[in-house]
Amino acid sequence: MGLLNVLDKFENFVGVNFWTMIFAWINLLILYLFLKKILFKPLKNMIDSRQKEIDDMYSDAESSRADAAELKSEYEEKISHAKEESEEILRGAVRRAQLKEEEILREANDKASRVIERAEEQIEQEKKRAINEVKNEVSGLAIDIAAAVIGRDVSASEHEDLINDFIDNIGTDK
Amino acid sequence: MDLEVKGPKVYWELPFELPDSSIFTMKNLITQTTVSLLAVTVLLIVIALITSKHITKRPGKLQVVAEKLVTMLYNLVEDTMGSHNLKFAPYIGTLFLCSIFGTLIGTTQLFRSTTADLSVTAAWALVTTGMVWYNNIKNFGFGQWLKGFTEPIVVMTPMNIVSEIANPVSMAFRHFGNVAGGSVLTALIYAALSMASSALLSWLPGALAEIPILAAGIPAFLSIYFDLFSGFVQALVFSLLTMIYVGGACPPPSELPSKKSQEKH
Repeated sequence: MGLLNVLDKFENFVGVNFWTMIFAWINLLILYLFLKKILFKPLKNMIDSRQKEIDDMYSDAESSRADAAELKSEYEEKISHAKEESEEILRGAVRRAQLKEEEILREANDKASRVIERAEEQIEQEKKRAINEVKNEVSGLAIDIAAAVIGRDVSASEHEDLINDFIDNIGTDK
Repeated sequence: MDLEVKGPKVYWELPFELPDSSIFTMKNLITQTTVSLLAVTVLLIVIALITSKHITKRPGKLQVVAEKLVTMLYNLVEDTMGSHNLKFAPYIGTLFLCSIFGTLIGTTQLFRSTTADLSVTAAWALVTTGMVWYNNIKNFGFGQWLKGFTEPIVVMTPMNIVSEIANPVSMAFRHFGNVAGGSVLTALIYAALSMASSALLSWLPGALAEIPILAAGIPAFLSIYFDLFSGFVQALVFSLLTMIYVGGACPPPSELPSKKSQEKH
């Protein structure tokens, strides 16, 4: 500053210097453009992007928490459903088993009664057959006896009615 | 005691015939203030470069402080001017930094405070007025802006014009007066304290009586008020007034269309 200092001159305490104003404007403009580009904009962008990141993280966490809660309730519902279902299945199985049991029993009863019926039928037939056999035997015998008594031949075909009456009478008498 | 209140030292004057009165001069090209302005600019650019060197998502200590300040700045601008005027935040921040560094650079004793020169504060105040007028005309139209001076009643027109002119003048003088007055007061107190100490030590022989022992310490506390506190307050006041005036010229977008349509009718 030595070279510049040769002037022993001071400005007025309260006064406006045109050139100082110009320099003030130039400096303000330079600083404005420079600080805006180098300092304010990058820092503001960084703050905003970090804020956005944090907000995103929070909203992500919130949404995944909500998802988890939804899944949980879904699973709980499913589990309770499964319980109901298993009970339902069990009940169905029991019912089916009971039905089956009843059916089997009924079938067995039917079969048994059919067997008994058939056996009774057979017995009846056997009985009829036996009676018929006995009838024939007895009629033959009766003819023989009658022939012996009357002394002549008794034709089975001629005296059939008589024989049958006789046999029937024997049956009814007994 | 000889105490002279002087303006900035003139380092280089132009060798032409130019207006050079006591309140307005075009002759003194380079003064102490010019050097201080340059120093503030260089200092702020260096600080900005150091701060912005490593802007990362995980901030260091310096970045945390810088981000805090930038957040405060944007919040202040949003509160004062509205969220639609955030584009002005970098200018307000620059103005604030220029003001407070311009004031505080005077405490180094190497430079004169830039804001202790009316030229600087007047230049800044004129920028504010220019922004207000530009935005008024841009947002409301020239006719509507001129018509605004006659409101609420026509009789108020002279007073409105005076207040429009008074705004930059009062801004410039307020800032300049506070800082310059503070430095004058500090100088006065220094002088008074050295007088008091020489009176106190007059019984000592020779040069020992001239040691201004009272001037050690006491002015430091005054400096905290006149330089640090006052410098901060004036920077804040200047920035706030700029925000309020410019914000008044830039109403929210929702209020604009009706005014524009009024102008067309």
